[in-house]
Amino acid sequence: MTTMTTVSARGTVQVENLTQIHRSGERTTHALDNISFTIPAGKFVSVVGPSGCGKSSLLMLLVGLAQSTSGELRVAGRPVAGPDPARIGVVFQEANLFPWLTARKNVEFPLMIRNMSVKERETKARDALELVGLDEFGDRYPHELSGGMRQRVSIARGIVQDPDVLMMDEPFAALDEQTRMVMGDELLRIWERTGKTVVFVTHSLTEAIYLSDHVLVLSARPGRIIDRIDIDLPRPRTFELTSSAEFIQIRNRIWEQIRTA
Amino acid sequence: MALFAIPDWVVRSALVVGFLAVWELGSRTGMVDPRLLPAASTVIGTALSLLETAAFRAHLWTTIAQTMAAFIIAVPVGAILGLLIAERPYASEVLKPLVFFVFSIPKSIFLPMFILAFGIGFGQKVAFGVFSAIFIMMMTAFAAVESVKREHLMVARAMGASFIQTLRSVYAPSMAPVLLEAVRLAMIFNFTGILLAEMYASRSGVGNQMGLWGQNFMIDRLLAGILIVSVLAILFNEVVRALETRLEHWR
Repeated sequence: MTTMTTVSARGTVQVENLTQIHRSGERTTHALDNISFTIPAGKFVSVVGPSGCGKSSLLMLLVGLAQSTSGELRVAGRPVAGPDPARIGVVFQEANLFPWLTARKNVEFPLMIRNMSVKERETKARDALELVGLDEFGDRYPHELSGGMRQRVSIARGIVQDPDVLMMDEPFAALDEQTRMVMGDELLRIWERTGKTVVFVTHSLTEAIYLSDHVLVLSARPGRIIDRIDIDLPRPRTFELTSSAEFIQIRNRIWEQIRTA
Repeated sequence: MALFAIPDWVVRSALVVGFLAVWELGSRTGMVDPRLLPAASTVIGTALSLLETAAFRAHLWTTIAQTMAAFIIAVPVGAILGLLIAERPYASEVLKPLVFFVFSIPKSIFLPMFILAFGIGFGQKVAFGVFSAIFIMMMTAFAAVESVKREHLMVARAMGASFIQTLRSVYAPSMAPVLLEAVRLAMIFNFTGILLAEMYASRSGVGNQMGLWGQNFMIDRLLAGILIVSVLAILFNEVVRALETRLEHWR
């Protein structure tokens, strides 16, 4: 038990022997099998795998929205017992903004839940919107924003409480290819500015390699970690990098594993 | 089917004015028995003078107070009960059909029981008003729950929202557009229930007065009462409609 001793570093994510079995009536689904990994503070880590491998199940555990069957999970040195958005920010697949609130009010929502004063709420929301480059759009309703902008608002909502870790569940999956590339760069900029640990679930191998320090590859159900790859490509990363020999080699290696998993 | 290029409201107003004119003429010329249908001007005059008497105003306030009290209880309680039932699979299975059955029973047949249980005062009127309106709220809440997106509930949960906070910040705004439709109907049922209870057995209220006027063949007052109650009902309907329009803008 060397790795699970309390590490005080903010932003570390420690997962040990995590197993999840869903039971609904007669059916049992073995979603995750004995998953272990450690993410040092401030790293950008992607989780990839074939569809239905339990990537999203893993993320639901990481943000405290689901219970594991066994195993241990610590974020910033403390176990995750339930949702804790001040420690673990979350960004969902679709932006999932409330259509009846303006962008600013959506970003303020988690602060309102914590009964923060109006003034403090406004300051924090303004800072968060500024960070994602939307300070001009706070008064717009979600339906008045583009898909990319909505996802930016969602990121602002995820980091408005300055959490140690940001967990993202296929956040750009619903966006078109170009917006997706732009959002990737945007996310890297935010990540570099804030120094948060990012756990990024995606089914796009290019996206995973382009953004990450490390990529975790999950097998088909029950999800097991079949590879962890350090991406030593230099930063800042550029679009040209995606056609370099090294990049393609990494992508092929992951693809080979996913295909045969 | 717009006739010529006349705005709808002009046509509508013309129809109302025309109706009043025919009423006035019919009564004045003796085509209809003026004892059964006094002229429109007489009725409007009676309504205005009724509104000036303190005694009638007291009756009117009683009715309005009872209606508002019942409304304020029936709408949220009905909506929340409906929501709680709809969100629990077992409760849903067991209770939904029962609510539908009770909804289909005419509420007026329970009035004698309400008198036995609650007397004939303010409380009984409010109780009967609530009883008349609550089922439509519950049934609409069953339907309105469907318009709450699971993803939004998950966001609220991920942000650590309590049940009350989720109720206020996710359920209420998601369900509001559907529920508002029912709010109008609930008001109609509620108002009907209270007037009925007042006519059936009461010492005060507009319904009680109208019952007395009918028994004493005071047709002008009876019609004036109908006019006043109608205006009240329309006013309420318009208030809810204004609320609906305000909620529309984000949809």
